[in-house]
Amino acid sequence: MSSISKGQVHFFLLKMHSLTGLIPIGLFLTFHLLINSLRTVGVLPYQWSIDLINNLPFLIWIEVLFIYIPLLFHSFMGFYITKVAKTNALRYRYPRNWMYVLQRLTGAIVFVFLVYHLGTTVAPKLWFGHHLFEAAPFLIDVMNQEFATWTGRIIYLIGILSATFHFANGLWGFCMSWGIIIGPRAQRNASIVFILFGGALTVLGLATVLEFSLHPVDVEPSFKGAP
Amino acid sequence: MPDDKTIHLKIKRQDQPDGKSYWEEFELPRKPRANVISCLMDIQMHPITREGKEVTPVVWECNCLEEVCGACTMVINGKVRQACTALVDALPQPIVLEPMSKFPLVRDLHVDRSRMFENLKKVKAWIHIDGTYDIGEGPVIPEKQRAKAYLLSECMTCGCCLEACPQFAKDNDFMGASTFSQVRLFNMHPTGAMEQEERLDAIMGEGGIADCGNAQVCVEVCPKKIPLTESIAEIGRETTLQLLKNLFLK
Repeated sequence: MSSISKGQVHFFLLKMHSLTGLIPIGLFLTFHLLINSLRTVGVLPYQWSIDLINNLPFLIWIEVLFIYIPLLFHSFMGFYITKVAKTNALRYRYPRNWMYVLQRLTGAIVFVFLVYHLGTTVAPKLWFGHHLFEAAPFLIDVMNQEFATWTGRIIYLIGILSATFHFANGLWGFCMSWGIIIGPRAQRNASIVFILFGGALTVLGLATVLEFSLHPVDVEPSFKGAP
Repeated sequence: MPDDKTIHLKIKRQDQPDGKSYWEEFELPRKPRANVISCLMDIQMHPITREGKEVTPVVWECNCLEEVCGACTMVINGKVRQACTALVDALPQPIVLEPMSKFPLVRDLHVDRSRMFENLKKVKAWIHIDGTYDIGEGPVIPEKQRAKAYLLSECMTCGCCLEACPQFAKDNDFMGASTFSQVRLFNMHPTGAMEQEERLDAIMGEGGIADCGNAQVCVEVCPKKIPLTESIAEIGRETTLQLLKNLFLK
């Protein structure tokens, strides 16, 4: 067993940055947007999904290990990568070079958005304590308020669009970095597939925003007295 | 004003590596089928600016004059390319000449590209023919593979891909597309493949393949049309497999 050099750590961390973007963060984003879009199917399925997720066993550990730590790691590495970049898309105007700039920009936007999003949803939960807290009525009420104003709607539109672009384009980058696609045709085909995928995710997100904006709802706790 | 009979050049100059840069403009009589090199040669003979001031001749590098050596690479009208194939008739005027910005400047349009050579040494961009003993003849290479390798072997280490790369900078160690493509070339060769692991190890560190941001400007500006992004993806695959080997087999 030879010792590990600084360069090898650097390489490994960048590889993990690429991987964590897909697993677990990208997977989480996909399920998050998909499950939230249950709101467009009906209030009850949406409410039950919130109840189910908020009553998962070891929820805080799942959140910390599979969401917060990977997210912080991915963000930290992302800001390091962005700091190193010397963007030149105004001089060399090629589509991929614009994507390179957008990938860094949307990453930063999503980070700021997530600080806001977690601040209005998760922070009160942690602040007030789980026992005083009824997940579905609280979260649905928060969302009603967020989508009552154009400011809130625009914040979420920018957040969702940035996240879906960053993920879809990041998937393409993942496939390049890990050597899943090689030739120019494979690269082009993959970008078409990921554009469609990103588009589908965006539709899920926007449909949810639209539903909340048009039809805010009040809900009672699903089970009386139960957290 | 430039017309059909004159050529107007705007050149970014700098007298010393750590000096201050300044611009000078030249107006030359137009010659048929002139290229940027012939214009620089004309300036060398009559180093007189547009304002009539006599100055030191502009320094630049060139060698082959047929776009196979890479020596005359510079930024022409905002984009990096070779001066020898920059034909004046095809360029809008004034023709703006700048040295490459990502390499240490020597003087005027002359830069020091030795970083590329150092990187080629780091990745062992060669094939061992013999060691302390005769290793014999290499295996026969299939024609398709030879054709692919030929494309990659056209790299002249000119530096266009690095100048245009948003990841490549004076203050970092990034190796860049040309180096990764050479790793692919020599790993592809049946005899060269014997050093595959050493080459991959050299690019699995700081400044290595994982630092690539996939902006893909390299492949757009490559004068030899080398499939650089295909090389990057292929090297991505080889290093991924090497990483898995290092993690699970060693």
